[in-house]
Amino acid sequence: MADYKDYMLFDKLPHTWCAGCGDGIVLQSIAAVFAEMELDKHDICLVSGIGCFGRVDDYLDINCMHVTHGRALPAATGIALANPALHVIVTMGDGDSVTIGGNHLIHCARRNIDLTAIIANNYNYGQTGGQYSGTTPTDSITSTSPYGHIEQEFDICRLAEAAGATYVARATAFNPVQMRKLIRGGIEHKGFSLIECMVQCPTHYGRYNRQGEAADMMKMMNARSIPAEKAKTMSAEELEGRIVTGVIVNKNREDYYTKYKRIIDAQRIREEGGSVNEN
Amino acid sequence: MKSQKKFIEGNEAVVDGAIAAGARFYAGYPISPSSEIAEGAARELPRYGGIYIQMEDEISSMAALLGASLAGVKSFTATSSPGFSLMQENLGLGIMSEIPAVIFNVQRSGPSTGAATKPAQADIMQARYGAHGDHSIIALSPSSVQDCYDLTITAFNLAEKYRTPVLFLSDEVIGHLRETVTETEPGPDQIFSRIQPDPDISQKDFRPYGYSSDSVVPMPAVGNRKLLMRTTGSTHDEKGEFSPNPQNIDRVTHYLTNKIEKNAEDITITRTYQLDDAEIAFITFGCSVRSTISAVDILRAEGVRAGMLQLVTIWPMPEKEIRAVLAKAGTVVVPEMNLGQLAGEIRKFNDYGCRILQANRTDGVLITPQQIINTLED
Amino acid sequence: MKTEIVLCGVGGQGLISVGEIIGLAASLFEERLYATMTASYGSETRGTFTKTDVILSDQPIGYPNIDSPDVILCLAQVAYERYKDKFRDDTEVYYDTDMVIPAEGAKGKHFGYAFRTMSIETTGNTQAANTIALGVIIHHRHLLHKEAVMKAFAHRFAGRDQIIAINEKAFGLGLSLE
Repeated sequence: MADYKDYMLFDKLPHTWCAGCGDGIVLQSIAAVFAEMELDKHDICLVSGIGCFGRVDDYLDINCMHVTHGRALPAATGIALANPALHVIVTMGDGDSVTIGGNHLIHCARRNIDLTAIIANNYNYGQTGGQYSGTTPTDSITSTSPYGHIEQEFDICRLAEAAGATYVARATAFNPVQMRKLIRGGIEHKGFSLIECMVQCPTHYGRYNRQGEAADMMKMMNARSIPAEKAKTMSAEELEGRIVTGVIVNKNREDYYTKYKRIIDAQRIREEGGSVNEN
Repeated sequence: MKSQKKFIEGNEAVVDGAIAAGARFYAGYPISPSSEIAEGAARELPRYGGIYIQMEDEISSMAALLGASLAGVKSFTATSSPGFSLMQENLGLGIMSEIPAVIFNVQRSGPSTGAATKPAQADIMQARYGAHGDHSIIALSPSSVQDCYDLTITAFNLAEKYRTPVLFLSDEVIGHLRETVTETEPGPDQIFSRIQPDPDISQKDFRPYGYSSDSVVPMPAVGNRKLLMRTTGSTHDEKGEFSPNPQNIDRVTHYLTNKIEKNAEDITITRTYQLDDAEIAFITFGCSVRSTISAVDILRAEGVRAGMLQLVTIWPMPEKEIRAVLAKAGTVVVPEMNLGQLAGEIRKFNDYGCRILQANRTDGVLITPQQIINTLED
Repeated sequence: MKTEIVLCGVGGQGLISVGEIIGLAASLFEERLYATMTASYGSETRGTFTKTDVILSDQPIGYPNIDSPDVILCLAQVAYERYKDKFRDDTEVYYDTDMVIPAEGAKGKHFGYAFRTMSIETTGNTQAANTIALGVIIHHRHLLHKEAVMKAFAHRFAGRDQIIAINEKAFGLGLSLE
């Protein structure tokens, strides 16, 4: 039986994250899923962007491509198409995924590229001191919304669903067992999968908004959680302020590469000259 | 060796050259006057088992290109000047991560949208300095449809050899010019693919980067059965792990510059036309070469000893060859479709008191031989 | 030996296609003949001024644009007007008598034919006027071997036998005109 530690670089610890940060819970969940699935490290490529959670590759002993802010999904698209046998995992924060990289997310979902996006959403830019992002809730205080945030936030899962994602799920740092289950579901899913992991940022978002210690923030997350199945029976008003957790979308739609492979098979004129399939 | 004569556009020859070089992945965003490259790639790549994907913008195109290349597939994109601006971010990523790729920039006039379908040669400085931070870059510039085929193969070879993105600075004139071309399929010894690690090396001893010398380190593909690969755009050590200490930042900066600058002799390509006894020498590149050749012919017919040095490699600048011309010719004229980007570089080398004149054109019309000649009369 | 040929008219008259045929014939089916071709046209594909510059030479070609042509084909008045001041005494000007009224006192040797009408009579539509004109030019000025042009049709329209046949017929008609 593989252990999550087999996929970790322990000599890189202690990690960069602040005490009480939820990112470590997601990191451990990812490594634990690799172990559960007994994946060969050579079959995994993790692509990360910039931000607190963008540092997740520092601690994993697998293939890693650490790229620019917001561009992890397009870089991962290139990898997934050039070597469709790989499990391509993309780790992003709320800045990477739906703010600077929002356009890439909707197009990647629309194309149904076979990869797994794991997003740690802490409602703000932690690495640069707690500025607001595309998921910062209205009225929140951040270092760049000192008088209260006037913009409406993105619901990452609803955005992904609307863009055509074929597997969408949400977990909170309070419930790592569910987080692992959902990440595994995403990796096993053929096509574009997205798991939003709600994580606390006690250093910035929590402090600015007087939400207490990390444990208090996690308890609050749990209190607001509502299972996706139950949420379906509730009205919009009833769901106000709640965090819908579990599998939100899970459907089959042929992924980009499978469709493109049919074009290759139909158009191919000769065997020599190297193929992306032979790698 | 298979050889085929064709009568095609520069942009079409680029696609043929890329496929001949072994490129099997294209990610791009269409833009005039480069779109024929995208269309050709979309049509031809699947026929060779390759993949074309049209991304949402040039930023993502550049990122996808690097991802595919990291997975071991030779990759390319094509754009024009405004799109090239958007590629700078991940061009820097490719330089820092040391991932080979070829970027075709069919230059047009600017800034901004400019005159969308009109030629210019005004991205020389953007090519050299567009990506932030100290680095060096390789850029080639074609002056014929034949170049669009042959030099494309060279561009991929240089990208693989030096583990870096290579720029191909074409322009609207050459991209849309149709002419006679002989496409000769390169033999295996004419195709360079990135060096692979020693098959016996262990993961413990493997280093995806090397900074102890100016030479390039082997690059296995992500997904190979033996070695895990780690790349990053953050300053990293030889293991590819984040390492922002001052000593490391400094050596990485020097390495990225030196691995190209110290190999300039291997990288630079120049050509001459009637240069040996020339008193008046033209130094030029790209589409302006065509007008300059005609200008030299006209001047020679009038008994003027004129000649030309063509910079096929724009970056690194062929300093040795330029200096030789400056030392010998009384007058040097620099024809170019911008306001003097190349002329400025040539002046940096003028330790010889040579008279340097500029022949510039920026109205989106190919500079004429007569305009080049008229420069001498001013 | 270098010949500079301008093909001009309005979009949709198949002038770029004629340029391609000349370039293909020279590049692929003649011994040691170089060709360049540049085209300029409005953003609309049809109806606006269009011109194609074709240069044939036994030496590699430098500047690929044409200022004063050796041979010009004008299939529309708007195109003729743009070029009439650039004709030299020895410029051969081929024009469609249905479409162009030559300027009085214009330089150049003028050759007028009813290309459009002949195309309708031969093929039932106007689409072959360009190829008839090509036949006339090749007949008057031996830029290319007839066989090379025929091979270029077969190459350019490979697999479309009917189009090849129409072009061969129109080209043959042009060759036969004095």
